[in-house]
Amino acid sequence: MANPVDARTWVNRGAFVVLATIIMIVQLVPQSMAPTIFQIRFPGGIAGPWDVKVIFPDILLAVTLVWVARRPKYLPVWIIALIFLVCDLVFQRPPGLWAGFVVLLTESLRKRSREFRSLPFLAEWGTVALGVIIITLANRFVLAIVVTPLAPLGLTLVQMILTIAVYPLVALVAHYLFGVSKAAPGEIGSRGQPI
Amino acid sequence: MARDKNTEDFVTPVRRLLVGVLLLGLFGLFLIWRIDSPRVERFRSAVTDKVVPSFDWVATPINGIANLISDFQSYQQLVAQNQDLRRELQQMKAWKEAAVQLEQENAKLLDLNNVSLDPQLTVVTGVVIADSGSPFRQSVLVNVGARDGIIDGWPTMDGIGLVGRIAGVGQETSRVMLLTDTSSRIPVTIQPSGQKAILAGDNTLNPPLEFLEDTALIRPGDRVVSSGDGGVFPADLLVGQVALGTDQRLRVRLSADYQRLEFLRVLRAQPHETITDPGGLLTPEAEFFGPAALPTTAVPADG
Repeated sequence: MANPVDARTWVNRGAFVVLATIIMIVQLVPQSMAPTIFQIRFPGGIAGPWDVKVIFPDILLAVTLVWVARRPKYLPVWIIALIFLVCDLVFQRPPGLWAGFVVLLTESLRKRSREFRSLPFLAEWGTVALGVIIITLANRFVLAIVVTPLAPLGLTLVQMILTIAVYPLVALVAHYLFGVSKAAPGEIGSRGQPI
Repeated sequence: MARDKNTEDFVTPVRRLLVGVLLLGLFGLFLIWRIDSPRVERFRSAVTDKVVPSFDWVATPINGIANLISDFQSYQQLVAQNQDLRRELQQMKAWKEAAVQLEQENAKLLDLNNVSLDPQLTVVTGVVIADSGSPFRQSVLVNVGARDGIIDGWPTMDGIGLVGRIAGVGQETSRVMLLTDTSSRIPVTIQPSGQKAILAGDNTLNPPLEFLEDTALIRPGDRVVSSGDGGVFPADLLVGQVALGTDQRLRVRLSADYQRLEFLRVLRAQPHETITDPGGLLTPEAEFFGPAALPTTAVPADG
């Protein structure tokens, strides 16, 4: 590529790969054979006690989006494609489709990451949320068109909402733990390359 | 900023091409999967075979951490759990009480039916007909007497533990002096330490233990049984449990239910056999096997 890449960027790329691997493993580790659906029982209410199914958010997606929106240089597109393709294969999802949509979303975020520097966090969050909603629906749409078995709509929507909700937390963790934050105006890498 | 934009623009076309190829590859893989599922599924299983087993060594610490977290959650629930257990314990105590009562009732009914569990210890069951009527004498009257073969000194029990001894036999009634009477002295053994002591009644419900050799060996809760010393009582009749009184003396919480003495069983204690003729048992008079026989029988062998 034309842009020189310094050692710090490589370290951060490696850190992301390790982080993604850990997230994947945590999801794969056989903690309990029960399905990871919690039923919360609210006492009272108009219709009496009712159950809400809560499933885990797609943390890996949120992490990827944070990284891309904050420091796109740390996360080249081929790493995203590779990781999500492996996820598709390992998690028994239709291979390639979700990875492709994630790549599309990250590319559009990557393009706008320069704008995010000067925008408030809410705008960034809103853009990301819109993107997540679009690719989730698109994914479902495509799966419906090619007549593949679909996950329940409610669960998909809950997971989508949770993923969006967890985005600020991930951004916070990324900022304080991994030093992944918006580049300050005029900040340059160790070799003087633009960030 | 302008320079940044320029470099970005310079890279963009190549990059866009690469991303396009990547996307094509990904969506193409999906289409191929949809068209020719088995082949891609084989590929998937091959990737899974490669990737997942290599997670083993990382999975162990993650498992450990997850266990740690769940342990921590259980610590948090400790208070609630404790309360639950207390409540359950309360219920269990009620059940235990019910079981004890049923056991006593069962023993009493067995007595009523004259069921004898040990043929050596046959019993005569009597009904308590009267109290002593005096606050200073702890005794009861039962409706069996000399007519039924009752002999002075026999032990009496309720369903579970020792109650007292026969002290005074009438033709149709007999008096049972309770263990709590001030003149009652019973030799007992304390298990498991095996200490011997005298259970001396003192007109309280929990008579004290006297003449203990070593109180350090005894703990509250130890079993107290009759020792059989002195030939008064048969050995190993349950008396009660050791308890530490408020006056720091070791006392006995009697197993017999003194609040409700209804049926008493009088044990037909077998009297100890006394040996009156020691020589006659061991050495018949006709023959000599000892040294005294040597001169007569051993001489031919010498010669």
